Amino acid sequence: MNKKKQLGQQKSDADLKRRGAKIGDQLRRIYEEVAKEEVPDEFLKLLEEADKKKSSMPSASDE
Amino acid sequence: MTDDRNKLDDATFKKELTTLIPHLRAFARSLCRDASLADDLAQDAMLKAWNARDSFLAGTNMKAWAFTILRNAFYSEKRRSWRRQPLDPEVAEATLVSNSNPSDALELLALRNALALLPVDQKEALILVGAGGMAYEEAAEICGCAVGTIKSRVSRARKAVIEILESNSTGYNSDSGMSADKAFDDIMKQADEIARAPTS
Repeated sequence: MNKKKQLGQQKSDADLKRRGAKIGDQLRRIYEEVAKEEVPDEFLKLLEEADKKKSSMPSASDE
Repeated sequence: MTDDRNKLDDATFKKELTTLIPHLRAFARSLCRDASLADDLAQDAMLKAWNARDSFLAGTNMKAWAFTILRNAFYSEKRRSWRRQPLDPEVAEATLVSNSNPSDALELLALRNALALLPVDQKEALILVGAGGMAYEEAAEICGCAVGTIKSRVSRARKAVIEILESNSTGYNSDSGMSADKAFDDIMKQADEIARAPTS
């Protein structure tokens, strides 16, 4: 009976591992789905603007 | 200034920060489910990173550094309301439509919903390590806690997600499922009361 219980435990451990791995795959897909999207122009525009603002500042050092 | 050796020039910094934008967006999206709020957060983090560029040390991990900034922005007082995002049916639908395999998409949606039910510290640990492919050490640095803490959060989060997915065979839209059940119960109760009410 103890053995049976142990077997059951082993089985569910393997099962848990399998499910865990599957969830890991899916998590990566959720993340990558967004990471693969083209970056909206707004981001680059904002960064450009911030960069320009900096270089037009009088305190900007040697450029 | 010897410090200058450890600093990137602005052009290099900008180039490297630009390559991180997709990651900032992905991390932000997993923290707040609403896509436009997430982009708002990612933009904010990007600009904060740019403004803090002097404090970045060349040769260190810029991704972890930028993620820390994003995370701080997320937790800032201003964003308190962002942390509890109810399931937005439009977002759910968009997820379904964007994927070619419907049963696959349903599974991903179920996982997203399960993630939303996790405490935010567990969720971010699982996202950084499980989805973003960060090392435990990097995730610990970003979250400002011990490596062991991250490990245990990831493991608890994984277990919880498996349990949530299992306890909810459809896994889909558990919140409205629950309220639909409750609504049904309420209606039955009312019907019962009406039936029992003395007619005279």
